[in-house]
Order: sequence, then C-alpha cells, then structure tokens
Amino acid sequence: MLRLPEFQVHQPATLEDAVRLHTTLPDARYLAGGTDLLPNLKHELDRPQHLIALGGVSGLVGVEEIDGGALRVGALTPLQDVADSAIVRARVPALAEAAGLVAGPQHRRMGTLGGNVMLDTRCLYYNQTFEWRTALGFCLKRDGDWCHVIDSPKRCVAAQSSDTVPVLVAVDAVVEFMTAEGPHALPVGELYQQDGRVDRMHNVPPGALLTAVRVPNLPDGLRSTYRKVRTRDAVDFPQLAIAITAALDPADGRTIRSLCVVIGAMLPKPKRFDLRAFVGRPLDDATIEAIAQEIHARTAPQTNLHGDPEWRRHMARVETTRGLRALRDA
Amino acid sequence: MKQLVTLQINGEAQTSAVPPHWTLLEALRYGSGLTGSKQGCDKGDCGACTVLVDGQPQLACCSLAVTAQGKAVTTIEGVADARGPAAIQRAFDVCGALQCGFCQPGMILSASALLARDPDPSLEAIREALSGNLCRCTGYTRIYEAVALAARWLREPGDMRGEQANVMGPAAEGFSVVGAPLRKRDAIGKATGEVRFTDDLVLPRMLHGKFLRSPHAHARIVSIDTSAASALPGVFAVLVGSELTTSYGIIPWTPDETALAVGKVRYIGEAVAAVAAVDEDTAMKACRLITVTWDVLPPVLDPERALDADAPLVHEADPKGRALSSNLCKEVGLSFGDVDQALADAAVVIDDHWTYAGSTHAPIEPHCAIGSWDPDGRLTVWSSTQVGHYLHRELARVLGVAESAVRVIQPAVGGAFGGKSEPFDLEFAVAALSRKAGRPVKILYTREEVFYAHRGRHPMRFHFRIGADASGKITAVDNDILLDGGAYHSFGLVTAYYAGQLLSGPIDFGTYRFRSRRVYTNKPCNGPKRGHGSVQPRFPLETAVDEIAHRLGIDPIEMRRINALPERGGTTVNGQFVPSCGVRACLDAVEAASGWKERYASLPPGRGLGVATSMYISGTAYPIYPNDMPQSAVVLRGDRSGRITAFCGLNEIGQGSDSVIAWIVSEETGVPLSCIDVVSGDTDLCPVDLGAYSSRVTMMAGTAAKEAGERLGARMRDAVAAKLGVPPERMRRRTGFWFDGDDPERAVDHVTALRLAEAAAGMPLGEVGAFRTRKLGADYRGGTIGASPAYSATAHVVEVDVDRETGVVKIVGVWAAHDCGRAINPVTVRGQIEGSVYMGLSEALMEEMVHDGKGLLKATSLLDYRIMTSMDTPPIDAHIVESIDPVGPYGAKEAGEGPLHPAIPALANAIWHATGARMRTMPFTPERVLAAIRAVGTREQ
Repeated sequence: MLRLPEFQVHQPATLEDAVRLHTTLPDARYLAGGTDLLPNLKHELDRPQHLIALGGVSGLVGVEEIDGGALRVGALTPLQDVADSAIVRARVPALAEAAGLVAGPQHRRMGTLGGNVMLDTRCLYYNQTFEWRTALGFCLKRDGDWCHVIDSPKRCVAAQSSDTVPVLVAVDAVVEFMTAEGPHALPVGELYQQDGRVDRMHNVPPGALLTAVRVPNLPDGLRSTYRKVRTRDAVDFPQLAIAITAALDPADGRTIRSLCVVIGAMLPKPKRFDLRAFVGRPLDDATIEAIAQEIHARTAPQTNLHGDPEWRRHMARVETTRGLRALRDA
Repeated sequence: MKQLVTLQINGEAQTSAVPPHWTLLEALRYGSGLTGSKQGCDKGDCGACTVLVDGQPQLACCSLAVTAQGKAVTTIEGVADARGPAAIQRAFDVCGALQCGFCQPGMILSASALLARDPDPSLEAIREALSGNLCRCTGYTRIYEAVALAARWLREPGDMRGEQANVMGPAAEGFSVVGAPLRKRDAIGKATGEVRFTDDLVLPRMLHGKFLRSPHAHARIVSIDTSAASALPGVFAVLVGSELTTSYGIIPWTPDETALAVGKVRYIGEAVAAVAAVDEDTAMKACRLITVTWDVLPPVLDPERALDADAPLVHEADPKGRALSSNLCKEVGLSFGDVDQALADAAVVIDDHWTYAGSTHAPIEPHCAIGSWDPDGRLTVWSSTQVGHYLHRELARVLGVAESAVRVIQPAVGGAFGGKSEPFDLEFAVAALSRKAGRPVKILYTREEVFYAHRGRHPMRFHFRIGADASGKITAVDNDILLDGGAYHSFGLVTAYYAGQLLSGPIDFGTYRFRSRRVYTNKPCNGPKRGHGSVQPRFPLETAVDEIAHRLGIDPIEMRRINALPERGGTTVNGQFVPSCGVRACLDAVEAASGWKERYASLPPGRGLGVATSMYISGTAYPIYPNDMPQSAVVLRGDRSGRITAFCGLNEIGQGSDSVIAWIVSEETGVPLSCIDVVSGDTDLCPVDLGAYSSRVTMMAGTAAKEAGERLGARMRDAVAAKLGVPPERMRRRTGFWFDGDDPERAVDHVTALRLAEAAAGMPLGEVGAFRTRKLGADYRGGTIGASPAYSATAHVVEVDVDRETGVVKIVGVWAAHDCGRAINPVTVRGQIEGSVYMGLSEALMEEMVHDGKGLLKATSLLDYRIMTSMDTPPIDAHIVESIDPVGPYGAKEAGEGPLHPAIPALANAIWHATGARMRTMPFTPERVLAAIRAVGTREQ
C-alpha cells in the first residue's frame, strides 16, 4: 500500500490554538477533509512533521446569511452541504452546482469548501508517487528545477483545479483567514498567483488559516452557471472549469448589465476575462458568439492536465456559448 | 509514537494504540482485524475502503485513525445484525451483484447510506450514490437492480422473495439444478465482508516486503549496493536479481523473464531489488538506501521504430543465449485461399489503417502474495493468482526446489481479467525473501505497481483490407498486424497467433490472409486481457463490414446474417471446427430488443445505433506445456453425514467457477447445494486444473465435475435401487431424494443414499472425473492455436448520443445477446455478459496506456487511468441465447470473455450512424471524435 509519511497529529479545539500551534511548528500543514492533502502526502508532495487537524475546531461549519443578503460559508463546511444548502442554491446556484460536481459522493462528504479553495495545484508531472517523480527527474513545483509542461525553469504552470473557485472568483467572494497577527481577508481572485510552486501559489503568509468564504450580496437578477469539462461523470477533476455570471437589464430582459467569465483548471491562477466591452450590448446569439470568440482567443490550455489542449480550448468556447445561452434563457 | 484512539466501531467502543500516520483503513484492517474494508487504489480513487462515519460514506484510506476519535464507524462487518445479513446484502446476493466481491463492501455501505436517506431511490439517484465506488466486474447493472430491490424490501418487508432459498427460480426442463437462477455459494460471505482475500491474511511473525523499481526504461545495471539497506534496523532480508537467475515465462519456449532484473532493466517500474522488514515503512526506507549504478541506454518505445535496423535491442539474446539482431519477438503469417484474386474480383474493397490502444485490466484488488517456509523446507505461497498450477511450476523452477516442496494457495481474488494469469515478481520475491529471513513475508502491490505488472491489452496497428461481392458476401480479408509487446514475451506467441486465428467467425470469409508481428519495446509487458488477442482485430473487421453494408445498401444486421457461419458444424476459413454458432439468434434478439427495425432509419442527427458480432473460444486445445495428462479434474468425496466435497484446482476469481462445480455435482447426485462443499485453488489438496484463462473453466472443469458426479450418482442410484428392489434404470432423482420413477412415493433421502452407497462399496465414497480435449485444429503449423472444443457467439447493439459540437459520446443504450450454449445459471451468465460489455465500452471510450518520451507511464492511478463509473454506465440489457452445444457440459460454452468483443466496434458503428464519422483509432475520446466529425464535414464540402 502507498504509505503516508510519519508525522505527529495535533487536534486543537479553537481557531486561535490552531494558528498559534502553526507558529510553533513552522512546517506543519492544516488538515481539513483530507481528500487532497492525504493523497498528496502519500505521493510525498510534502513532508510535514506535523499535521494540525481542524476537525475539532468549532465555529467553522455552516452557511449563514449576513449583512442582509451576503453569505458566509465556514471553511470546514462539507462540499455536499454547500451543494445541498437551500440558501446557496437560491443565491448562488452555480456554487451549489460546482460543489455538487466535485469528485464522488464520499469526497464531497469529507472534503470542505475551504479545502477546495486551498486545493494544491495539479499537474500530470506532479501528482505522482515519489518513485515516479524520481524517474521523471522531478519538476519545478517540488524537488526539481524544471517545468516539463512549458519546458522551462521559469515558472510552474500546475493548474488550480478546484470546481468552486471559478464561481467564487466570478461572484467576487472574499476569503477570510486567521493569522498569527489576526484576521486577514482578501478577494478570492487575489489569493492565487501566477506561479504554481508550492511556496508561491497562495498570496497569504505561511500559517494563515482559511476560516470562511464570504459571498457578497449579489445584485438582483444576477444569474450564474458552472460548466465542468471532464472525461467521466464522477470522480474526475475538471479539464476546464468555467463559471459565468451575467445580469441583464430588468427593463428589457436582454441588455447586459454585468458579465463575468472565469476559467479554472488551466493555470495556477483562475483566469478572469475582462468583458466590459460587452456591457450594454444585448445578450443575443451574435453577442454570445462574439464573447465565446473572445474567450477562445485568450485561452491557452497547457499539457499540464490530460486531454488535447486544443480541444480544451475549443471547449472553452463551446461551454461559454452554452452557459451564456442557458443564462439568457433562464 | 503511537496514540491511543477510541472508536465506536459497529456500535462497540474499541481503544487501540495506532501510529499517528495510520489511516482509518489501516486501523480497521490491521488494528481491529476488520478486513472487510478493502484497499484498492491507495488514495481515494476507487471507494473500496468506504465506511460510514457518523452515518456518512467516507473513504477510510483518506482519513486518519487519530482524527476519527469518538466517531461512530460502520464497516461492512457491522451491516448485518443478529437476524442475519441486512436486506441490502441479501439483495446483492440474490441479484447476482457480487462477482469478485472486492468492491462490494464499500458499495454496500454507500448503498446503505442512500437507502437511509431515500427509501425509494430512482435509478439516477442510485447511479449517483454509487459513483464513488468503482466496480470492474459487474457492469453495475446487477448492482442497480440490487439497490432497487433492497429498497423495495425495506418498504414492503413482506416481499423478501428468495431471501432464504438457494433456488430462486425453476431449473431448465429436465433438470433439477441446471438452468435455475441460483445464488452463488460465496456471495453472502462477500456481501458481509467475511471472505478473505490475500491481503486479509496475517501470519505470525509476518514481514512486509517492498520493491526497488527501475527509474529507467532501458539501462544496464553496473552494480547494486545493498549494504545500507541491510544495516537498517528492522530489515530482515534483501534480495537482488543475481540471487534468482533462472529465467521463466508463462510459455515454456520463451522464458525471457527473471524474478528481479538481472544485468539490465527493460521498462520503468521493473523490479531490481526487494526488501523484507518489520513493516512496509521500514521496507520502503530500506529500498531507498539501495544504490544502483546504471549505464543508461536509449529506449525504444514505438513498435514501428523498434523494427528499424538501428533500433536499440530490448533483448540482445534469446532465452537459449543466441544473439538476437532485431526486436521482432514473433512473426506469424498464414494464408487461406487466393486473397489477392478475391480482392481483385470484389465489388467493394475497404483498405485502411486502424489503431487499437493498449489498455489494462485494473482489477480493484491489487496483486498480493505471502510466502512462508515450514521447518521441513516446504514452501507455501498464497497469491491472488488466476493460474495457481503454472505458478506452482514456475516457483519450483526459479527457486530451485522440487514441485513437491511447493504449495500454492489462492484465496479469494478481487478481479483478474487476465491480469493475474502469469507469475509475477512478487510471488518469487515473497518466497525468496521468506527463505532468507526465516519468517513469512507478504507483499501487496501499490496501485502504481499494478500498472507496471500490467500484461494488458496489446496495442495493435492494422493495415486491413476487406472485399465483398455485390450480394454482401465477404470474399477476402487481408490483415497486416503489428503488436506492441512491451518488454517481455509473456503469452506473446499465442497473442500473435490469436490476433489472426480467432477472427474467422462468426463472420465467414471466402479467403483470408494475415501477417502478425509482435515486437519488443521498453514498456511494461502486454499480455492477455479478457478476450486475449482477438478483441483488437474485431475493431477493423466489424467496422469495415459495417461500411461495406452501407455502401451496398444492406442493413448492417442483415449483412451479418448473410455472412454468418452455419448454426451447426461449421468450419472456418482457417480450418477450425465450430460445433455450434448461435449468432443469428443473437442478432435476432438485439434487433428486437433495441427496436432496430423501427428506429434505425429514423433516429435524429447525433443519435446512432451500431451493431457488431464476435465469436470466442471455450478453452484451448492444449495446455501451455505439452503433456498427456488431463487439463482439468475433479475429485469427489461422499460423506455419510450427507455431504459431498468436490476438490478441483480451478481458480475462482469472482466468475463463479466454484459455484458451477457445486451446481453440476448437485445436478448429478441429487445432493442439495447446502450439502456440497467445493475446495479449489490449493495445489496440495486439489487435482490440477490449469487455471482461469481462455474461458475454459465451465467447459473443462465443468465436464470433469459432470463426469465425477455421474459416477458418484450412479453408485447412489444403484445402492438405492438395490435397497428398494427396483432396476437401477427406473431410479430418478430430484434435489434431496432418489426415488422409483414408477412409484415416486418410494423415495430415499440423499443422506441415506450416500450411506447405502458407502455400504455397498465397502469403503469411503470417492470418484474422479477429468477433461482433456480430443484432437482439435487444422493440419498446418499453427493450426491448433485457436482451436477450441466449442465457440461462443455474441451480438451487440449500442446506442449513442454524440455531441457533434464537442465530440463527447454518451452511451444511452446497450443490448447484448450471447450464445453461451446453455446457461447453467442465467444470473451468473448475465453478470458475465454485463461485465464484459462494461469493460469493452470503457476501454473504447476512455482507456489508454500512454507513455512519455522516456517510457514513463503517464497514468498510474485509478484517478488518472479512467475507467467508467456508474454515472457513465447505463443499465445493460443482456440476453441469453442457448444453442445447446454438442460438446460442452449440458451444452454449455463460455460467457466470460466473448461478450466483450463486439462492444468496441458496435460503439464505433453507432458513432458513425450518429455523425458520419468512421473511427479508426481508439479510444474514442471527444477530441478524436470531434476531429473525425470535422474531417467528414471537410470531405463533404
């Protein structure tokens, strides 16, 4: 059997204790649902001496309404609960859809929204055993000095492969962290960096613990959808993860008031497209075609994930088109 | 440092000290001895380890034991209660949802959680709830039925039909057992987690072994230094290749493998050294302390490049030490009739290239073996093998001991499909390490190692030409086949022959020629996967026949009727005698069930129906090593308590072969199934059976069981007749009784019958039966390869919905009809059909062994090597056709491999029907399908 490396496990009861513990154990890793971290540790993608298990920390589970319409989802809320939450389904259906499409039923009951946000970036050259990576000669993301995807030592392009993150970026969610210096919040879009290396992919200080995801009060009439491209219909990471939001003018029901497309499962940072040029135009077939064309032109999937990159790029166009049509016809 | 953890396991508080890095799965299996939770994929990809934590299905392999403190954990052992197995377990049993039984504990727990929250789940809800539990045997259809049945039982407790009965329906006319839908004898034990697989066994003082594997696809081993590994505390033995230099191979003429690499490695992942230590962690650490000095050589990865004159040589010498000048492993060329003339005269010719992708078996149970030497120098090896007898022989040879000093025991096997049909490095290593360490040694493969062991479907490239006359009769087939063999010979010469020899039915050709070349490359070795060697060439044949049908304006099903072998006594173009061929009845069945006639011409764009057929052997003419002894034998022991024990060396791998023996013995003796035991898979206790391969077991072991049963039954009959004072020929039997046919009131129960027979014999009751094929095959070199006592026939119709904008193919319907001669048990036959269909569709849609430019296998997990989940698998509609073969027992033929073959071409033909795109390359990924659709569009413009 593939073994977990040896480590000590700490089970703090409070948030403060968890963060304090991390300051005294600098190479510790936080453990939530374990569905990402533990397989990665079996692959020896990290070798922490300590795990800080969060299951006993109170106050990090649940979906609540705050500020008259905003949502706050505790970081330890299981993904299945996010998918099943009546509030989430009513306010941000795309988030419920995305959470419900993660992996398989067991993963969604173990895995948490926080874990999905903090998911390690993925790559065919990285998510492999130590022996496999030895045969490869390792890679830039961990233990090596070369990215085999872009054939360069400059940057790691492992893909941020969360299902929920593109949706959260599209709705301008804010992620709340607790650090040794106190609470810290930032827009989720700013959490991810262009370099997927282990120590560079997240724009938060070491030891920062994600506590909640805040979805702002969305404008009335904002529609959202999530489109997942994958090979099989369960237990599969996305080959492309597309979140779309759009608000149409209530007066005519067709003029674009706001529009956002975010694509994940491509690079270390989900790509948010600047589509301001389309605001004010009617969301008709011609506009949808033009938007999809724009997405296609500015999308460049890599060989970091499985599937022909050109086909994945084609799928960005197709799924954008289909998603926008669905939003228009909703 | 261990930590104390208290878990509420199955309602009982259990405190144990576990290392913090142990998963919940390890704590359950190795700490609490609850081995019903299985280890399949290492890391949360397969669901075999699923348990309920506070009522929710979770993955025990991705949870820590120490963080489960205080939680309520339900394992499969906790599903049954004092009244016996739960409804869901009984339903799995009754519906035939249990084959190997390895994934089912996890599956049953997922299903239990579903039923707890949804008492009346829809099919969609069932498929969704089970989508995190991979099953490789069943094709899921019986499982969907089982969950729905359990739900009904729970809603209407009065309706637990068949719950207590072994017999759930009537037998075929004239029989008391044969043809009845019966529960398998091991199924309830699998449903409750009681059946033990190899990794479930723990011996006192047992050590754990690990391998050091090659990081190079092709390299010379200059030196190996194991001193640091040997010095590590906790290490008991270290083994390198030079200690076991006797070469072996499943085919006796081509022994080109050694237990561990000797002098040179030929693929990434080849075993170089092995260590036995107190635990796996220590063994792994020790492996990493071994230093190997390599002389790295250029690898050859492409089979065509491998044939270039300047290609690096994978093997510099053959097993006899003669220098080799090429990577050509085996070349076969055979010709029947004037193919060139027939092609020249044909009204239609298709001439093109096809590519079949390599795929692997992916049984959910990883290979596992335990070796142990007793103080008198006898070796016992427990192994998840499907060829116990061949393993027995090779172990003795390689270890240099007499065969009489070796015992092989095969515990329950968690899926095999051909992937466990050769000796592997771990079986030799546990034996040799155990000999060195003086303690038992277990090795369990990681999932990655299962991929390196491989022996999967050969990638094949075809230049295929086929001609037909204007009436649609196929007049010529000409096939040039290149097989990518990987690093070793394996069954290679057989595969090379099978790729040509097994294609000649049920579609009958006027003339036939093939050239088949298998080459070595620096990749994990290819071998036999379900439908050995003959699945691949069906892809060009059946898609080209489809194309000809459309060019000639002939309905594709009719086209196959026009060309079918005769129903009785046909002879193929290459001279194989086919006693029975029910392909026409199969075509009729799928034509009717799919609504083909009404729908074929009227489906909307993007929807398509495709048909294909196949034929497959029921065992081979000869054993792998030439000998005049039986290929299978059964020994029966009758006991005055009323029981019969049947001993047979067959390998039960989930297909139900133990049960087949019991059913046949019951049929022949009248002894009820509850009083029949089967002892199999043990070379000390059982007469030899050659193993679970080439779909031979029901034909050969079944015939042996029938013969032994008839003999024992005759003794019982004669003894009862003497007692009743009636002539023996008037005696009749039904389950549990022998009686006077003229006066059924005059009856004797089976216990008395056995006692009377024992008294009459004056000694304990024992009988034997055996099977050996009569002389088969055609009279030319290679003419016996592909010869079989009987051949099954199959037809499939597949319906697809193709997204023409994306290339995504969804399977919306599958109808499969299989001529198994006679269904000794229709439930298990249906299970074999459905499982075969599933496996074929999965490899057609998404499976491929892909290597990078250095020979590194890119997908080495059940996450990256994708097999279809329940969400991808619609219910499969299986139909049984019974041609009552003149050779097989009760007319039975094979059912375990044949039904896979048509899935791939039927799917390809359906894609064509939906889109106009002819798929020539597998798998049919969206990118390939989309490219093919676009190419059609370009051609039409």
